[in-house]
Amino acid sequence: MIESTLSELESRAAASIDAAATPDSLETARVEFLGRKGALASIGKDMGKLPPDQRAAVGKLLNAVKQSIESRFDARKAIFGKAALDSRLAAEWLDVTRPAPGVRPGSLHPLTLIQRELEEYFTSLGFAVVDGPEVETEWHNFDALNIPATHPARDAQDTFWVEGGHVLRTHTSPVQVRAMEKFGAPLRIIAPGRVFRNEEVDASHEHTFYQLEGMMIDRDVSIAHMLYFMKGLLEAIFSREVTVRLRPGFFPFVEPGFELDIKCLICGGPGCPVCKQSGWVELLPCGLVHPNVLRAGGIDPGHWNGFAFGLGLTRLVMMRYAIDDIRHLASGDLRFLRQF
Amino acid sequence: MKFSYNWLSELLDGALPGPAELTRLITMKTAECEGVELFAPALAHAVAARVLEVTPIEGSLNVQARIDAGPLHGIKQVVCGAPNCRAGLVAAYLPAGAELDGRVIRKVTISGVESDGMLASAAELAINRDHSGVLEIDVEPGSPLPGLAPDHVIEVDNKSLTHRPDLWGHYGMAREIAAITGAKLKDPVKASLLPAGEPLYKVEIEDHSLSPRYSALVFENVTVQPSPLWLQARLEAAGMNAINNIVDVTNYIAAELAEPMHAFDADKLQGNTIYVRRAKTGEPYDALNGESYTLDPRHLVIADSGGAIALAGVIGGAGSAINGETTRIVLESANFDAACIRKTSAGMKLRTDASMRFEKAQDPNNTVRALARAIELFEIVSPGIRLRGGLIDNFKAPPAPAPITLPMDWLIRKLGRPIEAAEVRAILESLEFGVAEPTPGVFEVTVPSWRATKDVTIKDDLLEEVGRMVGYSSIPPEPPLKPVERPWVNHERLFHHDLRQKAAAQGFTETYNYSFVSEAMAARFGFTPDQHVHVLNPISVEQSLMRISLLPGIHKNIVDNARYSDEFRLFEIGNEIHKRQGNGLPHEVPHLMAAFHTKADGQAAFFELKRLAECLMPGCETVPTSSFGYEHPARSAAITWRGRQAGRIFELHPSLVESGRASILDVNLAVLSELGPEPKRYQPLRRFPSSSFDLSVVAGLRELTGELGRRIRAAAGANCDSVEFLYSYQGQPLPGDKQSLSYRITVSAPDHTLSNEELTGIRSAIIEALKAAGYELRG
Repeated sequence: MIESTLSELESRAAASIDAAATPDSLETARVEFLGRKGALASIGKDMGKLPPDQRAAVGKLLNAVKQSIESRFDARKAIFGKAALDSRLAAEWLDVTRPAPGVRPGSLHPLTLIQRELEEYFTSLGFAVVDGPEVETEWHNFDALNIPATHPARDAQDTFWVEGGHVLRTHTSPVQVRAMEKFGAPLRIIAPGRVFRNEEVDASHEHTFYQLEGMMIDRDVSIAHMLYFMKGLLEAIFSREVTVRLRPGFFPFVEPGFELDIKCLICGGPGCPVCKQSGWVELLPCGLVHPNVLRAGGIDPGHWNGFAFGLGLTRLVMMRYAIDDIRHLASGDLRFLRQF
Repeated sequence: MKFSYNWLSELLDGALPGPAELTRLITMKTAECEGVELFAPALAHAVAARVLEVTPIEGSLNVQARIDAGPLHGIKQVVCGAPNCRAGLVAAYLPAGAELDGRVIRKVTISGVESDGMLASAAELAINRDHSGVLEIDVEPGSPLPGLAPDHVIEVDNKSLTHRPDLWGHYGMAREIAAITGAKLKDPVKASLLPAGEPLYKVEIEDHSLSPRYSALVFENVTVQPSPLWLQARLEAAGMNAINNIVDVTNYIAAELAEPMHAFDADKLQGNTIYVRRAKTGEPYDALNGESYTLDPRHLVIADSGGAIALAGVIGGAGSAINGETTRIVLESANFDAACIRKTSAGMKLRTDASMRFEKAQDPNNTVRALARAIELFEIVSPGIRLRGGLIDNFKAPPAPAPITLPMDWLIRKLGRPIEAAEVRAILESLEFGVAEPTPGVFEVTVPSWRATKDVTIKDDLLEEVGRMVGYSSIPPEPPLKPVERPWVNHERLFHHDLRQKAAAQGFTETYNYSFVSEAMAARFGFTPDQHVHVLNPISVEQSLMRISLLPGIHKNIVDNARYSDEFRLFEIGNEIHKRQGNGLPHEVPHLMAAFHTKADGQAAFFELKRLAECLMPGCETVPTSSFGYEHPARSAAITWRGRQAGRIFELHPSLVESGRASILDVNLAVLSELGPEPKRYQPLRRFPSSSFDLSVVAGLRELTGELGRRIRAAAGANCDSVEFLYSYQGQPLPGDKQSLSYRITVSAPDHTLSNEELTGIRSAIIEALKAAGYELRG
C-alpha cells in the first residue's frame, strides 16, 4: 500500500521536476516534494504508524525515493545554473579586435642591436669589449698603426682634423693600440664604435659610421686561426650561408692584409648602389698584425703575433636588414627606427 | 690606375685568360679591380672610306656625302656634320651595325636624307679627345684603321696599389700576371740602346737622400707633332690625354714602366749643368699648368743656372716646356724620395701622374731602363731624331738591403697550412725574388729592386707573397688551441645597454645623431662657438663643431618627426665632447637624452619623462632650479640621485617647438657609472600588519608636493613605511590661493602591531609639525 504511494509520488515528482521551466518553478517543485512540509516529509511522519516489522523496509524505500528525487532535482538545477552562467558569459562578449591601450615598448637602433649581438658572440669566445675615444691622437690613429705622415695610405682615409692636432678617429683600429697598452699580451678584444671620414654623404657614403675592431694576440697565431673567427663571425651574423671571398688587401697595420667580401645581400650579385654595382660588399678587412703595430703597443713581435680585423658595422646592418640607403641610419626618422 | 688588356697581352708570351677572368684573378691575387670595360668597341667595325662627293642639305648645317668604303661595303651615302668633311678626304667610316657608346648604329634619316652608317671623329672612336671633325687617315678605302683595335680596360683601385710602386705601370702588372698564369714576361726595354760616350750635361745632386738618381738623354732633330694613332689610343685607354709625340712617349713610358719622365726644350736651358736641389726661400716658379708658385726649402727643384726648371717629381716648368718649335730636348728620368714628393704634392695640392707614382717610392734602377725605352719609341714617333752625347747619369745607389731570412716552419705556422719548400721557391722566383737555401728549411730571399724601396722588407711581407699566390681560399679555417681566460668586463658598456633596454621598455625609441653641430644650431641653444671643439676641415658649416650636448640633435629629431606624428618618444645615448685645457684629448662624456613630444598637455609630457627618470634611477628626485634659455622657465629641474647631480629634466622652451610640447630628460651617464650599481641587501619582511591613514594639507598653490611629503615623513618618525601623494584639490570651500594636497601615510613596527594609541600618536605628531610650520589640515 505505502509502496505504491511512494512509487506514485516518485513519478509525480519526476514529472514536476522535468516540467519545471524556470528556476522558480523548480523551487516550487522542490518545496512540494522535498520541503520540510512536503510530500515526502509527511509520509516520513506517518512512518510511526506502521507496524515495527515493516518500518525498516519502508524507511529504506523512502530514502531511495528521496535520493532519486533529490538527484533528479540537482541535475535539473545544474542545467539551470549552467544556462544562467552561459547567458551571463554570453552577455560579457568582448570585441577582441579592439586595440589595447597603453604605451608600446620603443625599439633599439639597428646598430645597437648588431653591436650587442656581436659583443655577446665575442665575449663567449673570450674577447673583452673595449672602448676608445672618438677624438683620437694622430699617433694612435695613424703613426702607431704604421701609417706615418708621409704614407700615401693616409689619403685613403679622408680625415677630419680638430684643434690640438687631434683627429676624429677614421677607424676603430687605434683601440688596438690602446688595448695593447692597457692589457698587454696575450690579448683578445673587440672594439665597436663610431668613426668619421671626411666624405660627402650619399646613399652609400656617410661621414659618420660604425666599425667593430677585433684583435687577438697570442703565440703563433695563423691565417687559418683568423679565418676560423671570421667564418664564425659571419655565421653568427647572418645565420645563413653567405658567399665570401678572401683576397689581398693593403692596410699598413697588417701584413699580410686581406679583404673579406661577401656577395651583396641586397641585389644578390648583379650590382646595386649599396655594393657600388660590383656585386660584392667589402665587409671585413683583416690580416696578421704588423710587427711595427705590436711594437707601438709595447708588445715584442719576436714572441707574440696576432690577427686583427675591422668589421664595417654600418654596412653589415644594411646587408642584414636590406637597407638600401645609409642615410636612414642617422636620420632619426621614427618611421625607420620603429621597424627594428 | 687603368690597365689596357691589349697592352698587358703585348708584354706577355702565352695564352691569357679573357679580360673578365683576368680581372678576377688580379683581384683575388694582387689588387682590387673596380671593374673591366670594353673599350673602343667601334674600332672592330671601323674602316677607311673616301669621300667622293659632298652635297649641302637645304636648311641644315649637315652635308650629304657619297663615300667609297671599299670592296666590302661599297658606295654609301651618309649625313655628316663635321666641318672637315670634303671630297677627297679619307675618313673613318662606321657602317650600320657597328656599336658606338653602347648603342648600335642604324640606317636612319637625318635632315630628310638617308644616312647609312656614319663618319666618326677620333673622340667617337675613343682614340683621343678630338671632337673637331671626322678622323682623317691615310690608308686605302675599305682597310681597317691601322694599329687600332677594340680593347678592354681593367680599372684597379688606387688604394690597393699604395704599397706597390711597380704596379703603377703595365709591365709590373704583367709580371704579376706571369706569376699568376704561368705566361712568360717579355721585357720591352732594350738596354743596349743606351749611348756610351761623354754626356752633354753634368748633374749635381745636392742631397742624394732626396734624389738618389738623376739620369737624362739629349735628343736633336726632334719634330714635335701628333703621335701615331695607336699610341694615342693606348694613352686614351690608360686614361691619359694625347698631347704631342714627345709628351705622349713620356706618358706612355710612365704607364708602362711606372717611371715618370719629363722633356725640357734644350734650347731654353741655361748652362750645361742640371742641379737637383732644395728650392730657395721665396724662389718663384711658373709651372706648366699656368700657375705661379713661391717655393721654399721643403721643395725639391730641378734647376739650371737660371733657376728652377721643374718642381721635382711633381710638375715641369713653363719656361722650359717643349712646343711646336722645339728641335732639341733633354729627357729627364730621375728618382726622388717618396716622402719629399708626397709632402710637396700634398702641401701644394698638386696631384699629378708623376707625383702619384713617386710618392709610392719608385725603383732607382728604372731611370735608365725608361730612357732606353724612350730611344726606341722616339725613333718611331719622330723619324730622324738623333741622340747627342752619352748617357747622363748621377746615381748614388742606396746600400742594398740584406736578404730576408725566411724559415719554412715559421711560414707554415703563420700560413696555417702545409706547403712544400719547392712551391714557396717557385712562387718567389716567379715574382723575381732571389731564393737561396743556405741551411735546409731556411730561405735567404733577395728582394728585387722594384719591390725593395718600401714594399718588402720583412719576412711577414714574404708570407703575403706566398699566401696570395697559393690562394687564401686554400687555407682551411682552424680554431686556435690557446687557453682562454675570462675576459675583462666592460661594465660601462653593459650599463649603457641596460639603460637602452629600460628606455625602450618605457616606449622610447633609440636614435643615433651626428657628433657634429653647426654654429647656427648651437646658437639656438645659447651655446657659443668657443665652447666647442672645432673641426678644422669640415665638409660644410653644418658640421663645423663637435657637440657639447645631445640637445641639438634630439631637437632636430623632434622637429623632423613632428611632421609625421603628433606623439612620440625617442632617446639617444652618445658622447658630449668638451674642450680641455692644453693639448690633451677632449673630454668625452656619455649622456642619455630622451624626449617626449605631444600635441596635448605639456604637463603630461613632463611627467612622462619623470617616469622614465625614475625607471632609470629609482628614487631620484627633481629639484627645481633656475632654468637655461632653452628650457621652459617654470618647468625645469635638476635631477639628483643618491646624493649626486645626475642630470636635468625640463620642457623645451615653447619657442623651440612649434608643433606641440616636448619634454626632455638629460642624464650624465659618467655620474651614473661612478655611482655604480645600487648595492642591494635583503630587508626582513615585516611580520606585523601595517596601517594607513590619509591627511589633506592646505597649502599655497606653488607648494612643492615633494617638499611637503618629506616634511610629513620627517614628522612621522621611525615607524613610517611610506608617504604617498594621492591628489590635489582646488576650489570650494578653499580660498582661490590655496590648494589641498592629500597624502597616504603607511606605518608599521617591526616587533608588534601598532596600537590605536600609537597610530593616533603618529598622526598627531605629523599634524602638530605641520601646524607648527603654518599649514592647516582639512577635515
